[in-house]
Amino acid sequence: MEDESVMAKGLVERIGSDDAILTHTPTGRSSVKQVSSILDHTTAIGQVLEMLVHPEHGVIRDISEIRAVGHRVLHGGPTFTQSVLINSEVKDAIRDCIPLGPLHNPANLMGILAAESNIPGVPQVAVFDTAFHQTMPKHAFLYPLPYVLYERHKVRRYGFHGTSHRYIARRAAEALNRPSKGLRLISCHLGNGASVAAIKDGKCIDTSMGLTPLEGLMMGTRSGDIDPAVVFYVMKHENLTIDEMDSLLNKHSGLLGVSGISGDMREIEAAVKSGDERAKVAFDIYEYRIRKYIGAYAVALDGVDAIVFTAGIGENSPFLRQRVCEGLGFLGVTIDPEKNNSRGKEVNITGEDSKVKVLVIPTNEELVIARDTLEIVSAANSGN
Amino acid sequence: MRIRKVAIVGAGTMGCSIAENIGEKGFTVFLVDRTDELVEDAKCRVELSLNKRLEKWGITEAEKRVTLSRIRFTSKLDDVTTCDLVIEAVQEDPDVKKKILSDLDKLCHPQTILASNTSTLSITELAAATLRPERVIGLHFLSPVTRVEVVEIVRGLKSSEETFEAVKRFVKSLDKVGVEIHDSPGFVTTRLITPLLNQAMNALMEGVASASDIDTAIRLGFGLPRGPLEMADRMGLDTVLTSMEGLFRDLGDFSYRPCPLLRKLVRAGHLGVKTGQGFFKYDEEGNLIKEEENLVYQGAKG
Repeated sequence: MEDESVMAKGLVERIGSDDAILTHTPTGRSSVKQVSSILDHTTAIGQVLEMLVHPEHGVIRDISEIRAVGHRVLHGGPTFTQSVLINSEVKDAIRDCIPLGPLHNPANLMGILAAESNIPGVPQVAVFDTAFHQTMPKHAFLYPLPYVLYERHKVRRYGFHGTSHRYIARRAAEALNRPSKGLRLISCHLGNGASVAAIKDGKCIDTSMGLTPLEGLMMGTRSGDIDPAVVFYVMKHENLTIDEMDSLLNKHSGLLGVSGISGDMREIEAAVKSGDERAKVAFDIYEYRIRKYIGAYAVALDGVDAIVFTAGIGENSPFLRQRVCEGLGFLGVTIDPEKNNSRGKEVNITGEDSKVKVLVIPTNEELVIARDTLEIVSAANSGN
Repeated sequence: MRIRKVAIVGAGTMGCSIAENIGEKGFTVFLVDRTDELVEDAKCRVELSLNKRLEKWGITEAEKRVTLSRIRFTSKLDDVTTCDLVIEAVQEDPDVKKKILSDLDKLCHPQTILASNTSTLSITELAAATLRPERVIGLHFLSPVTRVEVVEIVRGLKSSEETFEAVKRFVKSLDKVGVEIHDSPGFVTTRLITPLLNQAMNALMEGVASASDIDTAIRLGFGLPRGPLEMADRMGLDTVLTSMEGLFRDLGDFSYRPCPLLRKLVRAGHLGVKTGQGFFKYDEEGNLIKEEENLVYQGAKG
């Protein structure tokens, strides 16, 4: 951890089935794929640990070398404003947030319990995807709905991709060689899911995702902002259930829904270049909506010093970055077309006469989780 | 015990629909019927149903393919012997059901739970056809299975606590709400809905109102997605008649005495959605043809 290098990466897919897939990639060596019956998270973590100490593919000699475990947790609700050392109250609080993150929080919790049972006594840290946005002022996070819904069901904006936006906030300040204090940033996380955050003095003051990751920008298969009345109108006229409408908005909309081709920006770009009309309009909506948010957040921040692009599309689509920045003339944004012609690398693409810096920074959520874990565990140890 | 591997015996409308739902929720599920042709039909039926849901944005192309890949279509009953749970969904005839449960009892692993998807028959009686009545239980899914959130879990007289708990957990993992039923004819759903259907038919026969007005009154008056006559058409009028006769016999209550109009329609082969005609007319996709009442059978009005 001293030099923040990655020793190994891995993932386990299809937990709960007889043909679960464990992929393990030790840095600098070839990947290992193992298909076996993994019926629960405890077995999954057990197999991951075995792989880490494997005589051939392993990266550590003994399990006892693992000093701490960091977990990504989707929803921390209003309770968690930063990463925390996991104890039974924290687990209860994560459980309490299940209604807010019904798909992810149960799995996140199972991951925590599984790590606990495999390596008991090793401290664990939870890093919440919502925590970074907890600094939003009330006028930014509250919806104009009956107030009682906020009190009764915690209905409000939470925002997501917090770990990524936080990494960007810190890295952008470093890259610009400026203190966070006084720096006004707009961070555009454009991946399969996409969100924008307005960051002032290193703190989030507004973000585009809301109670769920459906709000805000147009995404690969998610609609982002629409008139809420569209929901009732479509449900009534197409005779849809709530689940069907949910699936329509989350899985059949966005780039895929409009283009009819794909939710993958690479395919959309290719189709735009070959003259496909629907792909073109899909791309135009996507790009236009990013600009609308940048404009709105420039107002929220009372000016902007830097715009950052990150995540799959943000890091790898010079075409999109160019189109977005071309439309930001009123802010005095220009980019250097040559520098912009880069993929997956950190690069300052600011144009010579630009009044606003424009950066591409590959995000690194795992590093944030590792840093937080180290920091919290060290603090806990020195406190003893 | 934890239920992971499931089989459905009987690939009719209900069998296919249950298999689709279980496969969708991540379980490997065998769908068995007697002949290869019936199995092939079942595959087409499941695909058709998934395609319809895809068209309605309920699922994605990828989800459709994953669900299909989890359903193993087969004509060999031997394939189900190692399953944790086998649900029979053959026709609603006590002798046929007893025969299949008895066969499964002989074939399956002793730990296997045998469930029946009957809507009216006594679980206690069906369980008696096996040597493992403690591992026999009722699991009444309602149609359309992917849309209806409730499942009746029916305890036979001898169903064990362990069996009930395992099945209850399984139902929960399908994201459905299980209600606990103590074996009794028609359980709760069939017992309570049948008199409504019967009375709607009687009202039609007596000329109280037209079929579409009866359905509109009940649908809008009580907030139901469909009126009782369309509901009966969708269940299949032959099925409705059979279960009504069974309930009338078992409960001796006149509210279950089948309406003569129902008998007349069944005799004429107008069985509802599946034949394109019942109290209303339907297109090939099973959609109600608006304003087309089956006027020949309008009772007093016809």
